[in-house]
Parts: sequence; structure tokens; C-alpha cells
Amino acid sequence: MSTAHDLSRLLERVAQGDRQAFNKLYARTSAKLFGVTLRILRRREIAEEALQDVYVRIWEKASDFRPGDSSPITWMVIIARNRSLDIMRRTTEQPLPDDYFEIRCDGNLPLELVEQREEVNRLLGCLEELEAQKREMILLAYRDGATREELAKRYECPLSTVKTRLRRGLATLKECLGK
Amino acid sequence: MTTEDDIDALAAEYVLGTLNGAERDSVAARAQSDEVLARAIADWEGRLSQLATALYPEVEPERADLLSRVNERIDKLDANRSGNAQIVRLQRSAMRWRAGAIAMTAMAASLAIVLGLREVMWRQVPTTYVAVLQQDDMSPAFLLSIDTSTRNVIVRPVSAPAERGKNFELWLVHSSLKTPRSLGLLSDKVPMQTEIYSDLDKATFMDATYAVSVEPEGGSKTGAPTGPVIFAGKLIPASS
Repeated sequence: MSTAHDLSRLLERVAQGDRQAFNKLYARTSAKLFGVTLRILRRREIAEEALQDVYVRIWEKASDFRPGDSSPITWMVIIARNRSLDIMRRTTEQPLPDDYFEIRCDGNLPLELVEQREEVNRLLGCLEELEAQKREMILLAYRDGATREELAKRYECPLSTVKTRLRRGLATLKECLGK
Repeated sequence: MTTEDDIDALAAEYVLGTLNGAERDSVAARAQSDEVLARAIADWEGRLSQLATALYPEVEPERADLLSRVNERIDKLDANRSGNAQIVRLQRSAMRWRAGAIAMTAMAASLAIVLGLREVMWRQVPTTYVAVLQQDDMSPAFLLSIDTSTRNVIVRPVSAPAERGKNFELWLVHSSLKTPRSLGLLSDKVPMQTEIYSDLDKATFMDATYAVSVEPEGGSKTGAPTGPVIFAGKLIPASS
């Protein structure tokens, strides 16, 4: 586990083409990013392929990283999430196993996020205020890449209802965050 | 007509990940040119990004060779990039050369005469353009001429150095194309004739840089230049 500062320094060196720094960055972050690709893509071999794409992209995009805009691990997780969603939406979807619907957010933040504790807590606080089902839908979609169809099946409601609930939930969340 | 709220909702669902494949692709494409949408997406990324890190548990990948495979892919990328950088450099020198348009036309014309393209010149056909493929201003290696009405291309060797076991390959390079397009192998002794691909429009092939790379015998196996790019040039009118 590394602090945001360590990772920022590594990314800076990666942006200059430093392969050693890149290998170090991989060692420190691959478990986290694999957690993302595996969660969304659900099959190990596909998730491992995606993880390679993600690191190639990190190598290419390292110079775009702005420490002021986001924490380095968040920046990398977003790359991993987007790549996974792109792949997932193009391939035949895998059914979600039942235990996927267990949401745990125990408030034990990883070290990289300690510095953003306030922001994280604010977001979690706003999520708490949503109706339970809207909150669950948003978290399932965000974390697991659940599609509208999957959510409709799970909550036994029409697709249009899922869409409306997601949109209302997101709008409320935005209002609560006040930005 | 999409309202601001619609755009925001679309951006939110894009970031949330609940759009299907086609919708997702179309939003990504639209965000390339739609600044309002792009900003809305960035805002939503920012709003939800804290979740990204808090929600995912760490899992060690099983395969041990992942990092080495990533490094291999990066090696290839870097190799391509240095090739591209070379093309850009040559494009720049071709541009400088083009700046002296009058001198250049004169030189191209004199070369064309030397090469026995007199009939082309004398006809004063405005559809003929030439490009001098060279390393620097003093050493033209090939002269490329193109008839823009028939898309017919002829490339004549001027002072191309022969290299045993290697071939020269001609490429059409343009910023609108993902990769250079091969136009075939060049001989250092006899002219080569070919045609511009029918899927390329006139604006593209007129504005393109024509580049020559050194490839193994039989040409590049990968569909992109693998050896150094040693000559390049851009089209200019053969008569003015």
C-alpha cells in the first residue's frame, strides 16, 4: 500500500518514460485495479486481459494525470473501470452471481484515500440519504457494472422504471453534493 | 432538442455504466465534439470517483506473466512511436521544402525532364502532381508522379541506394489515417506503377506525405513500416 504522494511521484516518472517506475507502480496498484476489472468483467481470464490494456493505457496517459484534480489511485481506478465497462458492454454478458448483491461499505478507507476522507464521507453521507433501493441500484451499477436489464430482473420492475429511478437517484445525489 | 437536464442525465448514466454498448459508444463519440456533454461527464466522474476507490476490494491477479506482457506491448508501442516521430520529422522537412514552392516546382520540373517525363510536362496537364522523395534537399531518391484524375501513380528511382536483402516500401501517410497505407515496393532500378486506394478521397491523398521505409525482402510483414523511414515528400503541381 502506498500513499497518494508516492503514487504521484511514480506516475510522474512513468510520464517521462521510466520503465522501472512503471514496474513499481504495477506492483503497488495491480491488486487494486484487478479488483476492479474482475468485479466488472466477472471472468478471470477476461479481467486479466483487460488489466493489461489498463496498464498500457496508464503508460500512454501518465502525462495527463493532474495531481490537483484527483488522487492517483482514483485516476487509475477510473481508467480500469472505463476499460472494463467498454469490454463488458461489447461481449455477451455474464449473469451476476447472487452474492454480488451484497453491498458493504464499512468505512475502513484504504490508505490512499485517507487524505480525501472528508470528500468520501460526504459522498457516502449523500448516498445514505437516498431511498434504499435507489442507493442499491446506483452502487450495483457503479461497482459491478450491472446493466439496466440486470437491475430490472433483480428488482422485478420494468426497464423504464429502472431508468427513472436511476436518473432520479443521481439527480438527488447531485443536489445533495451541491455541485 | 436535448435539454441541459437530458445531457446531464445521459452523462450520469454514462459514468454510472448503465448504458448499453451502442448507447455507450455513441455518447463517447459525441463527447469528442460536444463540450457540454464532455464537461458533464467529467463532473460526474469527479462526483462518483471517491466510490471507485472505496468500493473495490484488492484481488491479486493469478497469472505471473501479466507485467512482462504489458512491457512487451509497450516496447512495440514505443518502437512504432519512434517510427512515427521520424515520419513527422520528414513531414516537417517536406513542409519547409514546400515553402519554397517556386524553387521546388522548378526543381521537380527539371528532374521530370531529366527523367524523360517530358511529355507529361509539355501537356501542361493540371491534374499531374509530383513529389520528390528525399532525405534532404540535395539528394532526391525517387520521383513520384500522380495523375489525380485517374489516381495513377508512377515512382521512378533517381538516385536510390541499393541495399542487398532489403526492399524499399512506399507509404501514404496522413493524419486522418490510423496507420500509414502501403503503396507497394519500390525498385532502385525500374519505375513502379500503382494506383491510389479507391477508399481514399482526393483531399487526403493530395495532402498526404509519401514516405519510403527500408523493409526486409518482400516488404513489411506487419502492414506498417518496420524499418527506418529514409525518404519522404509531399505533392506539388507538376506545372504552374
